Amino acid sequence: MTTDDHVVFIVDDDGRIREALGELLEAHGMRAIAFGSAGEYVNAEKPDVPACLILDVELPDINGLELQRQIAVGDHPPIVFITGHGDIPSSVRAIKRGAVDFLTKPFSDGDLMVAVHTAISEDRKKRSERAELSQLRQRYLELTPREREVLPLVVSGLLNKQAASELGISEVTLQIHRRNMMQKMGTASLADLVRIAERLEIPVNHSRRGGGN
Amino acid sequence: MTRVWSYRPQLLHLGLFFAAYILGCGFAQALAIVPGTGISIWPPSGLFIATLILAPKQSWRWWVLVGCLGELFGNILWFHSPLPAAVLIYVGNALGAMVGAWLVNRALGRPVRLETLREVLVFVVLGAGAAPVVSATVGSATLAWFGILSQTFLGAWPLWWIGDATGVLIVAPLALVVIQNWNSKAELSAARWIEACAVGLILLGVAALSLGGYLPFSYIIMPPLLWAAVRFEFKGAAVTLALLALVTAIFTISGASQFAGNAENQRHSQIMLQLFLAISAFSALVVAAISRQHQLALLTLRQSVEALRDRERELSQIVNMVPVHIRRLTPEGEPTFFNKRLVDFFGLDLQQLNRPGTSQLVANIETLVHPDDAPSLLQAVRHAVATGEPYSMKYRMRRADGVYRWVDGRAEPLRDEGGKILQWYAISIDIDDEVRAHEALRDRERELSQLVDALPVHVWSWTPAGELAYVNKRSLADLGLSKANLEDAVRVAQKLVHPDDAPEVLRASANSLKTGDVFMMRYRRRWKDGNYRWIEARAQPLRDQDGAIVHWYQVSIDIEDEMQAQEALRNREREFSQLVDMVPSLLWRLSPTGEPTFFNKRMMDFFGVDPREANKLDTSGRVAIIESAIHPDDSAEMAKALNRSLATGKRFSMRYRLRRADGVYRWVDGSAEPLRDESGRIVQWYGLSHDIDDQLRAEETLRESERQLRRLVDALPTLIWAAAADGEPIYLNRRLAEYVGLTLVDLDSPDASRLQMAIQNSVHPDDTASVGQALAHSFTTGETFTMKYRHRRADGTYRWIIGRAEPLRDTDGTIQQWYGVSFDIDDDVRTQEELRRTQERLAVASQAASLAELSASIAHEVNQPLAAIVANSHACHRWLSVEPPNVERATTVAERIIRDANAAADIVSRIRALFRQSPETRNSTTLASVITEAGGLMAEEGARRRVRMDISVENNLPPVTLDSVQIQQVLINLIRNGMDAMDLIAGEKVLEVQARRVGSEVQTEIIDCGRGIGSPDRIFEPFFTTKQHGMGMGLAICRSIVEAHGGRLWAEENEPRGARFIFTLPIATKAAP
Repeated sequence: MTTDDHVVFIVDDDGRIREALGELLEAHGMRAIAFGSAGEYVNAEKPDVPACLILDVELPDINGLELQRQIAVGDHPPIVFITGHGDIPSSVRAIKRGAVDFLTKPFSDGDLMVAVHTAISEDRKKRSERAELSQLRQRYLELTPREREVLPLVVSGLLNKQAASELGISEVTLQIHRRNMMQKMGTASLADLVRIAERLEIPVNHSRRGGGN
Repeated sequence: MTRVWSYRPQLLHLGLFFAAYILGCGFAQALAIVPGTGISIWPPSGLFIATLILAPKQSWRWWVLVGCLGELFGNILWFHSPLPAAVLIYVGNALGAMVGAWLVNRALGRPVRLETLREVLVFVVLGAGAAPVVSATVGSATLAWFGILSQTFLGAWPLWWIGDATGVLIVAPLALVVIQNWNSKAELSAARWIEACAVGLILLGVAALSLGGYLPFSYIIMPPLLWAAVRFEFKGAAVTLALLALVTAIFTISGASQFAGNAENQRHSQIMLQLFLAISAFSALVVAAISRQHQLALLTLRQSVEALRDRERELSQIVNMVPVHIRRLTPEGEPTFFNKRLVDFFGLDLQQLNRPGTSQLVANIETLVHPDDAPSLLQAVRHAVATGEPYSMKYRMRRADGVYRWVDGRAEPLRDEGGKILQWYAISIDIDDEVRAHEALRDRERELSQLVDALPVHVWSWTPAGELAYVNKRSLADLGLSKANLEDAVRVAQKLVHPDDAPEVLRASANSLKTGDVFMMRYRRRWKDGNYRWIEARAQPLRDQDGAIVHWYQVSIDIEDEMQAQEALRNREREFSQLVDMVPSLLWRLSPTGEPTFFNKRMMDFFGVDPREANKLDTSGRVAIIESAIHPDDSAEMAKALNRSLATGKRFSMRYRLRRADGVYRWVDGSAEPLRDESGRIVQWYGLSHDIDDQLRAEETLRESERQLRRLVDALPTLIWAAAADGEPIYLNRRLAEYVGLTLVDLDSPDASRLQMAIQNSVHPDDTASVGQALAHSFTTGETFTMKYRHRRADGTYRWIIGRAEPLRDTDGTIQQWYGVSFDIDDDVRTQEELRRTQERLAVASQAASLAELSASIAHEVNQPLAAIVANSHACHRWLSVEPPNVERATTVAERIIRDANAAADIVSRIRALFRQSPETRNSTTLASVITEAGGLMAEEGARRRVRMDISVENNLPPVTLDSVQIQQVLINLIRNGMDAMDLIAGEKVLEVQARRVGSEVQTEIIDCGRGIGSPDRIFEPFFTTKQHGMGMGLAICRSIVEAHGGRLWAEENEPRGARFIFTLPIATKAAP
């Protein structure tokens, strides 16, 4: 039953908890890797598969919430907090920062498994989105400089004529650039292109309403 | 043949001989007056003999050959004899000549001078007698044999013999004279020449008269002939004979002579003529020889006399000129001769000394000899005369000028062959100077000896071998030596030299003895008292002309005092030097022109000069050090200041920086003053640089700290003042001045003191009196002043302040100053109530919080194993639920569940144990204070929850040993439980706390009037709670605490309602340590 398409990381300073959780997850057919501290987890080599992080709030090196704050800047698996004595402010703060659940010890296996499954599926989704975005970024990077200039003008809704004048090139030339750009970005419609630009967070400086200003 | 040729006479001589031979032949022919007899006289025989006598024998053959040629030539001219006869005649002639010459040479030796009678006689006998025998015999035989002129042998032989003999007698002397004197000049005086001429004339006259027949007797010629022979000796005789022969020949040839007779007596005449000539010649020669002999004897005699006279004169001169007095005495001792020096010495001669009646000797001695010496001299002379022994004596003789002078007199006798004394010869030598010199020398020597002995030094002399030869008396006295134990250098060194110095002394002395170098050393010598004293010994060799060492002289001077003085001086100098070096300052010295001539050791160290280099440091080196060490910023100014001082002679003083060896610049205070000589001229500058860096920095730090302190004092939000010992304010800090709006100046008033003015102007009127009184009390008693009172601020408002003042006392305890501070406590006073309340609330909160926190911690501790248990349980369940069930894994998990559950139970028991521990925090306290405190803490909560607390504690409760914090927590927990229990009841809520002594325990009861206890047995179990929000830990913990203190906690139902929690604590039985 144990599969390699996902993994559960356990970070808890109490060896009994690590042992029991590992046993429980294994009994549910899930692969688990346990760490005794935040530092061990951060420094460990981790498999690049959809994952879940079961994180104890009270850790010997740094607080679990602090670890959450630190790894928030990068890609990380969704977190399920567990704590010996949970207080409301901590749980609120953890959930606000994107924790999947905040379980107080002792917890039932049902609650834990739900949270773990939710976290893994969330991560799987997040990963595919990241892959798609990465593909889009790659496409965008393949554009020529002129095409990158043309893209925001088109997305902002300028007419070809206006865009050409903005760039100081002929309309025909602009049309060639536009066609090439659309083709490279793998989109057929302007609507798609607008959506892609949003996802890529390409700044749009012009609008038809803004006119020449 | 070579020999023959080498002895060939000169050709000239041979030629002359040849010519003379022929001339002789002609002369003989002319004189042959007897016809038929041939030869009358034969001159060639004389010539021949004379020549051969003089010529060396080896050349005779040459002369014989030439003679033969001459004879043959004469034969051809005149004789006309047949050649064999002529040759035979010549052979006879030559043989005769050779025999004669050989005999004469043999008898007389060479040269033949014919100066004595003997010589003449030998010549006449052998030359003129024997030789013609040979020639006459041969010639007469020849004539007879050949019958020439019809001669018979006997008839011819006498003629021939006489002819030849006459020829020899006449011609040979002439030839000898001519040949021998050919080159010598005859020195004849004019008188002799006249005499010679006169004799010649007389001879010629007498010869002419006698031979001319005017005088009857031809021998009358003899007197003039002999005269010439006597006067002119051999030469005169020879010449005269020649003349006579010539004259005779002339007269005979002319026939005028008596020898020219007629035919019958021709032979007789011939013989007479020959005899005449022969006798004349013989006589003349003999007389000449005698005369010559006589003359020689006379000459010799004259020369001898002359020589004798010279000798006598010399002797006389010697006797008179020898610087010795010489006397001659008779054998009886009477003086008979004084030499000139003696006469000159006395100024008297013998005659003048002669005194009639006394002996000459006695008179002489009494007159001329010093009276002290006269008797002994007289006695000595008499003794000598009597015994004949020589005498020798020194005595004084009076000189002509009356001065007595020492003489050394001696006399010895002259004896004849028989030993009889002929004369006494006496001499006396003036030795006065010598004697006096000797005396002077002795005096000098004595003086020197005294000097050497008196000198306060040790004078020794050594032999070149190193043996002690002389030691002066002082040495003997000082060193306790005796002359007997003078020894060699080694023994002396062993005895007298300090053992430490001895090896060096021995080495040096041995070296000096070997090399002859001067010995000079300072060492310690042992005095007779056993003490060693320092001496300086010098020894020098005395050398003779060849440079060989004769003696060593050594002088040793006692320099003990000097050495001690030097030692003292050195010590003082060392002390001074140490002083200079150890003074913790840099000392230096400058020349009048400013060059540094000395740095002390500290200075060297300061500059980091290597101590080994320090001695080699010269002025330029010091200048370099100074120039490099002085701070560049100070350099110019210092040079200026120094030059000004050098120019004016005024004291130099300046602060500047010097670089220390470690490179750090340090401030020094440099000063220098000149040392002047009597004339006021500057000799040296003595300077001192004192390191004031630390001082400067300390001062700077002090100033800085004072500044900071003042700023601090001024900046402190405190009012600070200072007053003199009598209380008069002397300082107000800025804050105080601003606060009261007054300065010290404002307090000066003619009517009142500053203190009174300050109190009147700044203190609240209600407090003025009490403040003044309290201050006066403090100022008089010296007690600290502390008081709260109201101060009037500059804006006119009054604020509470607390004023304090304390005295500053000196070491004697006398008050120097008062320092006071005043804190504005107005705000404090106002907030005090509130603050106190807040504090109480805080205390309560903290007590409550601590118990809650403890509970949370316990919950976490228990939660961990619980969580593990739960998770494991689910896993176990899961393993057992699968198909087929994984029993193996389930069993493992179940074992873990048991393990974790036990762990949780351990945790709880450990918590309970926790409260039983910590006895060290307990102390003996009265429970009343703890209860009061807890009541105070809960008072506010009680008021909020409308609960009345009645606390009653029995008086004089004995102290119990407890941890007041834990017991307080028990109390608070029980009180709060009681309050909780009464929350929901209506009516009056009263909580009673009672404490009393029960037996050996103190019993405390907390009584509420709540709902009471449902199950009094379980309430003390952990986690049992009757509350909505409770952990169920409180009572369990409380029981643990109480039981840990050795007490009990239990609960009872209260009548009519409520609950009663009771705990006991044992009374402290022994005093806490």
